[in-house]
Amino acid sequence: MSAPDRHRLRSRLEQRALSLSALATAAILAVMLYLPVGVVFVEAVLEAGRPTLAHVRAVLTDPFYVGALADIVAEPLAIRTHLESLAGWLGAVSVSVAVVRPIPGLDLPVPWLALETPGVRWGLFGFTAYQAALSTVASVALGLPAAYILATYEFQGRQTLRSLTILPFVLPGIMVAVGFYAMFGRAGTLNGLLGVVGLGPYPFIEWNPLAIVIVAHAFYNAPLVARVTVAAWESVDRRAVETARSLGAGPRRAFRDVVVPQLVPAILTGALLTFIFTFMTFPIVLALGGLQLATVEVWIYDRVRQLAYSEAAALAVLETLLSLGLTYAYLRYESAQSGLARSAAAPARRPLFPDLRTALSPRRLAIVGYGLIALVVFVGPLASLVIGSLTDGSGFTLRHYAFLIERQLEGASYQTLPWVAIRNSVLFGIATLVVAVPMGVVVSAVTARAGRAGAVVDALAMLPLAVSGVVFGIGLLQGLVFGIPLPGGWRFQVTGAVAIVAAHAVAAYPFVTRNVSPLLSNLDPAMVESARALGASRARALRDIELPLVASGIVAGAAFAFAISIGEFSSTVILAGGGDTYTMPVAVERYLGRRSGPAIAMGTVLLVVTAASFVVVDRVGGRFER
Amino acid sequence: MTELTLEGVSKRYDGTVALEGIDLTIRDGEFFTLVGPSGCGKTTTLRTVAGFETPTEGAVRFDDQEMAGVPPEDRDVGVVFQSYALFPHMSVAENVGYGLRFREPPDGLTVDERVRELLELVDLAGAGDRDPEELSGGQRQRVALARALAPAPDLLLLDEPLSALDARLRESLRRQITRIQSDLEITTVYVTHDQAEALAISDRVAVMNGGRIEQVGRPQEIYRAPATRFVAEFVGDNNVLEGAVRGRDGDRTRLDVGGETVTVSSVPPGADRVVVCVRPGALSQDASSNRLPVTVETSEFLGETVRVHGRWNDTEIVLQLPEVPAGNELTVGFDPDDAHVVATE
Repeated sequence: MSAPDRHRLRSRLEQRALSLSALATAAILAVMLYLPVGVVFVEAVLEAGRPTLAHVRAVLTDPFYVGALADIVAEPLAIRTHLESLAGWLGAVSVSVAVVRPIPGLDLPVPWLALETPGVRWGLFGFTAYQAALSTVASVALGLPAAYILATYEFQGRQTLRSLTILPFVLPGIMVAVGFYAMFGRAGTLNGLLGVVGLGPYPFIEWNPLAIVIVAHAFYNAPLVARVTVAAWESVDRRAVETARSLGAGPRRAFRDVVVPQLVPAILTGALLTFIFTFMTFPIVLALGGLQLATVEVWIYDRVRQLAYSEAAALAVLETLLSLGLTYAYLRYESAQSGLARSAAAPARRPLFPDLRTALSPRRLAIVGYGLIALVVFVGPLASLVIGSLTDGSGFTLRHYAFLIERQLEGASYQTLPWVAIRNSVLFGIATLVVAVPMGVVVSAVTARAGRAGAVVDALAMLPLAVSGVVFGIGLLQGLVFGIPLPGGWRFQVTGAVAIVAAHAVAAYPFVTRNVSPLLSNLDPAMVESARALGASRARALRDIELPLVASGIVAGAAFAFAISIGEFSSTVILAGGGDTYTMPVAVERYLGRRSGPAIAMGTVLLVVTAASFVVVDRVGGRFER
Repeated sequence: MTELTLEGVSKRYDGTVALEGIDLTIRDGEFFTLVGPSGCGKTTTLRTVAGFETPTEGAVRFDDQEMAGVPPEDRDVGVVFQSYALFPHMSVAENVGYGLRFREPPDGLTVDERVRELLELVDLAGAGDRDPEELSGGQRQRVALARALAPAPDLLLLDEPLSALDARLRESLRRQITRIQSDLEITTVYVTHDQAEALAISDRVAVMNGGRIEQVGRPQEIYRAPATRFVAEFVGDNNVLEGAVRGRDGDRTRLDVGGETVTVSSVPPGADRVVVCVRPGALSQDASSNRLPVTVETSEFLGETVRVHGRWNDTEIVLQLPEVPAGNELTVGFDPDDAHVVATE
């Protein structure tokens, strides 16, 4: 082959490089995402090879699942009967001030406004939505003050705190659950503190597991609400507020008329996302509430464990349709809001504690009070995790770690070995990073400037955000792990580590895309065009120009991909089954079933590995940025 | 070097027409400018030549070679954008040398020698190690020009290269571009919305409007003999008077303009409805023919002259007078030879 020929071949390949990698990404998505989800849908509507709606109908007419709606679904046309029962129910509602449950130990009765409703069966779906709604309220209530403080006050570490709001989102759910366990459990840090003043121990979790679950959800989602609200707050143009003031509005009025209307969409966005996430909640409920508090997701998992695949699939389909609907609503809403302009003049921030006098003002004291609550909710569980791993009822101990080491050295191969879990987690994390980063970048490159077609690709590629880990896990299990028969006696089968990495990569790459796309679409398109006019192919321009300029987004996306993989629990626990491809979160859950000490120690190891991975990626990322 | 031909080039995006039947021949070594208001299709034409847009119909040829299906990187064109589009993660020298990663430097030079040569050409010798963000806007645009020229392209395409710069800088860089272009004798297509800029620098100009070409010609032709009413109004200041042909008077033609009789020296053959175009400088208080009473609305002192905006009946009139007129009413006239008449539908 002559030199010009070789050159021509290379440039031919380069021209096709982007299309080829887009095809490869599409193939991975088709096999690893759409196929499994499709398998679940097919499973839900097939009975012995025949299409049937029996499974779905069975779910929809069972009061256990859909509560009072079951009658309506069973006989949709008996409207009169339904209206009569609704009227009867409304007639029985009463509101009263009641004295409810005195706090045990303190003989203080707590007055409470009680809304007495006659018993309605909410069903599994109803309960799932109910706890999601409560979690959303709690997250917004906890997140808004944080947004207010971050947006309007200047203080040491504000910027760091603002970036830390992304952190809870990628912390492993099972680890956080164990952290709450270590804090509120019978031998937890809270009881330890109360013990110092001679109170307790109280079984907080057993008293009200729902409350603990909701606080844990707020741990995850309040920072999210705070994050989107601060972003909106900082994009409010100070000059708009100043204009309102000059036109005669007082400070409060200007805030209400100018700032609030710009914050409401962000708050609603945060609330809607929180509802979606907590609707699909899994590890937290599984670890803190168990089947007693089962949400749809936990129940699906249980059905899979009981090998009731058809029922699980029917539930999974209904859950996915609901979450897709919610996600669609969210995306529609988000795109309707995207017209908000970035402002050049962000609102000024005041010092938080300029002097002692101001520090003692009611508003500053309220901020301090909120800070203490935030400290308990956000730092408490993680600190409790570490403390709990080093203490038992009587004081400092290393025996939880000793147990882990002993188990590693002497455990039988069928037992859950700590080192295997750590090794698997790190290997899967690296493999996920290697697969998910190119996938995410390719999706970004394809969608960044493709107009309407790009929006369709974007929506299709973002599906993993709307499909829960458990549903996805069942799909992978039934589709790829059990295998799909192909013509000619072949079987298409993906198992073990490969299936887990695929599941992690599919869950992780949207985060790469979300980090890279905004940077990519902000680049001047003339730069790529200049490169191409100078002789670079599209792929070469991507490599030479765009990728170096969005390196920070890629590194951030890689950190997300790794963290998602490390923390992924839902599909991993299904795919690992009883085999030896378990990861740290799965190990934590397995230990938790038997004894809490080693689970807390394992959770601490998970915390250390997660934190270390962030530090490493941060260092590496620092090298790439100019 | 290269002759550029566009033949019946049309471009439609779902329903909207961006270009409609563009026919152009740009000669070897010519400085050719596409000028028109925003949305007229001038940039789309340039991007079609560069290969960033694919025409819906028609052909683009470099010399005799049909360019359909040839990607931008294989067209040997140098492109300069309004936004400079320098690569911020590369030094000035790396920017200029980027195209030499794909094409051999000309004249047997090494990459370094070629980069140095180009930086000298744009008066930036010694700036090679600097980062683009350390440079001023004018310097950045010169780096972009050097970068586009480094691989010795067949065609130089400039898309509003001066629009982001202030007026003084624009003029000096404009002179630099024309000097470099005539030194290198490179076929150049220049896109601008600024008609004065187009007239100042071009060998020939195409005035575009609504995706079509209104007129192609040398700057003098375009200025003195606009082919359409649009060109007359777009290029330079013009007083445009609507009228109808009434009859001939020897070598003069009589027109009816808003009830008044106006004589001009020539009208397009067969024309009935016409517009009479008179440059502000051709209207004077001393002229003896075609006298029109004008009501003055504003006067602007411009140094050498005074620009007067006024009204004759319902028609806006712009005058260029030596002094601010005394009073609000004055009468101006124009020589029949100074009027240019364009037929209208």
